[in-house]
Amino acid sequence: MSSPPGTNLQGKNRQHLDEMTILLYLEGQLERAKAMDVSAHTQECGSCRVLLRALERESRLLTRAMLEEDEPLPARLANFQQAVKRSMQWIWMVTFGLAATGVYALYTSYIEPVQSRLQDAGFGGTNLLGLLIFQGAFWKGWQSMVSLVEILALVIIGGSALLLFRRWFRRGALAALLVVGMCGALMMPSNAAALETRKGETIEITKSETIKGDLLLTGHRIVIDGTVDGDVYAFGQDIEVNGHITGDLLTGAQSVRVPGQIDGNIRAFVNNLTIPGTVGRNVMTWSQTMTLDGKGSIGRSLLTFCQTLGIEGKVGGDVTAFDQTLRLTGTVSGGVDAKGEMLTITKTAEVTGPVKFEGESQPRVEDGAKLHAGNIEFTKHSEKDRSENRRSYLLHRLLWTSSFILYGLVLIWLMPKFAVDTVTSAENIGASLGLGVLAGISLPFAGVLICFTFVGIPLGVLGVILWLVMIFSAQIVFGGLIGRWILGRTEDVWGRVGRMALGMAIIGVTVPILHEIPMVEFLFKLVIMAWGFGAIALTMYKRIARSSGAVVLPPMVA
Amino acid sequence: MTVPGPTDSVEAIARARAGDSEAWGDLYRVYAPAIFRFCRRALPTREDAEDATTEVFMKVRDKLHQYDATRPFTSWLYKVAANHCWDLLRRRKIRQDKETEDLDTLPLEHPDANQLEQLIEQRTSEEVRKALDKLPSRARMALVLRYYSDMSYDEIADELGVRRAFVGVVLLRARHELRQALEGSGALAAGGAG
Repeated sequence: MSSPPGTNLQGKNRQHLDEMTILLYLEGQLERAKAMDVSAHTQECGSCRVLLRALERESRLLTRAMLEEDEPLPARLANFQQAVKRSMQWIWMVTFGLAATGVYALYTSYIEPVQSRLQDAGFGGTNLLGLLIFQGAFWKGWQSMVSLVEILALVIIGGSALLLFRRWFRRGALAALLVVGMCGALMMPSNAAALETRKGETIEITKSETIKGDLLLTGHRIVIDGTVDGDVYAFGQDIEVNGHITGDLLTGAQSVRVPGQIDGNIRAFVNNLTIPGTVGRNVMTWSQTMTLDGKGSIGRSLLTFCQTLGIEGKVGGDVTAFDQTLRLTGTVSGGVDAKGEMLTITKTAEVTGPVKFEGESQPRVEDGAKLHAGNIEFTKHSEKDRSENRRSYLLHRLLWTSSFILYGLVLIWLMPKFAVDTVTSAENIGASLGLGVLAGISLPFAGVLICFTFVGIPLGVLGVILWLVMIFSAQIVFGGLIGRWILGRTEDVWGRVGRMALGMAIIGVTVPILHEIPMVEFLFKLVIMAWGFGAIALTMYKRIARSSGAVVLPPMVA
Repeated sequence: MTVPGPTDSVEAIARARAGDSEAWGDLYRVYAPAIFRFCRRALPTREDAEDATTEVFMKVRDKLHQYDATRPFTSWLYKVAANHCWDLLRRRKIRQDKETEDLDTLPLEHPDANQLEQLIEQRTSEEVRKALDKLPSRARMALVLRYYSDMSYDEIADELGVRRAFVGVVLLRARHELRQALEGSGALAAGGAG
């Protein structure tokens, strides 16, 4: 590196210093030895001393001239932040307005009809708050699946309310309030205390046995010959109820057979459900095959999502069926509302209420069948329907995406740091996906089986709630990741919201396209879920590890 | 010499980094006047300075996560502003100063100190500001970076893209040009040895 000009002293003290040297001395840029030479020189040389003083005064004049506020901040700059804030408030209002409309439209267009259908089928009468406050173990009702949207709406409404009242609360206090409120709701008195659990290869409640209170059974083969004075939760391969259950039967199994008596409801996730016995109230089932035997009876309504449904016995209320094939040979005291490919009503059948069928082909009604309300109201699926369905599907996607964006906005506002960390975790694709698959599958099992069995219902429900919240948030995390890929990182909250909204919009556009290809949409969603879920789990794990001082393990996959 | 501008508000900066819009508003209110002044000194027109101020704060908002909290916030802020203004000038290609001139050609002179004293004595701050406005971009920018933002020679070298060893030369030449503008003649700038 060559020396800059002017840094050399011009000879000894007898000669004057050049201006450059004096300036560098003044600005403290000379080496110590040279600075000492300059200092000694200016002590003796009047001309150089005057120049040093003049340069120093020039520096001060420059600084003073530049610092003086001869021009105040222009009004448009002074108002800039206010204008931004005002416009942001406007954006907030529009966003919330649109999203609230979206949520409302989503609810009224899609959720409410399903709920009313459920209510028609005898499963209504409870809403989320009612379930939380009055029943405690609300998940025992399948309609809790529907309530997910209510939870979403509740979070959004709650978040909006908190935003409105944020002046009165600090963010931490708000989060604490939410958690405490949620825990409080979950800890409401439940019937958990009366729960008895049994597990084993084969479980048998003998004929002479009477169990007071609720019963949880897990085993390969479960046989109930005795009496259970309460609800039964049974999970196994083959389940047979020959005895008497005074409450409900909630079951997940390969095969369930009920020749006995159940005073309450059956809610079943099974492969085959056969009811040759008596069910006092309602039956709701997701199964491949469901058969109500000739001797079997259901006191109230029947709601099914099956491949094949056979009604040979008696149904006291309405039948609502989303089945591929429905064969009705028995008696229905209410109406029948069926959607599917084929409906057959044999000559032995009797239906008191109206019969509606929506499907590809005309229902087959044999001569002799007694349809008291007259002819079947048949709606054929047509091309027009399909295009309407398509429009309705797109509208549904639009509303769904809007709701998610709003939900994400609330989450980012409530947990800004966690939101960033989660999207950062999501950048670690292997670890996120791996953990997502692992935790996504294992957590609900763990929540339901382990917590429920050994720790207690409130914690089990809390675990399941956490899982559901994570599942719902997974898509938002993925949206945030896409936004970050496109627009880059930002620490700004609005920047994050914008990136998340962009990502969600891209997902919103992609899903309907993939919808056209069988299974691809499902797989796409599955990957998003696993990815986002894993990122959330990874972030939580890191936080827990950090707070407990544990060593954070490197990602499973690089 | 201290960096002009308000004392760094550690809490407000931390909150703004966490996305608190109110804290961001506070930062803007506190630092906007200083950054506007900086832009006003560095750029040719008032309109340029106004636009640049808003753009600088947009950039600051985006880059806040890059800020190293162990260093003074004001210094970082000025660096962002300097980068922005210098980029602006470069894009406009209005740097009329002799950028390609060999810096080694600056003569080693000893100007008439008394004449210089007299000039400084007679000129007001307003006259200096007007003279600054007449300077070529790089000369003006160098003076602003050094005597307004209190940047080190290393930072100025980095900012203007010159070697560290020649920052003094750039500054001295800028002073000469300022004196010319103040005096209306080259007498002081090319003052002879006394």
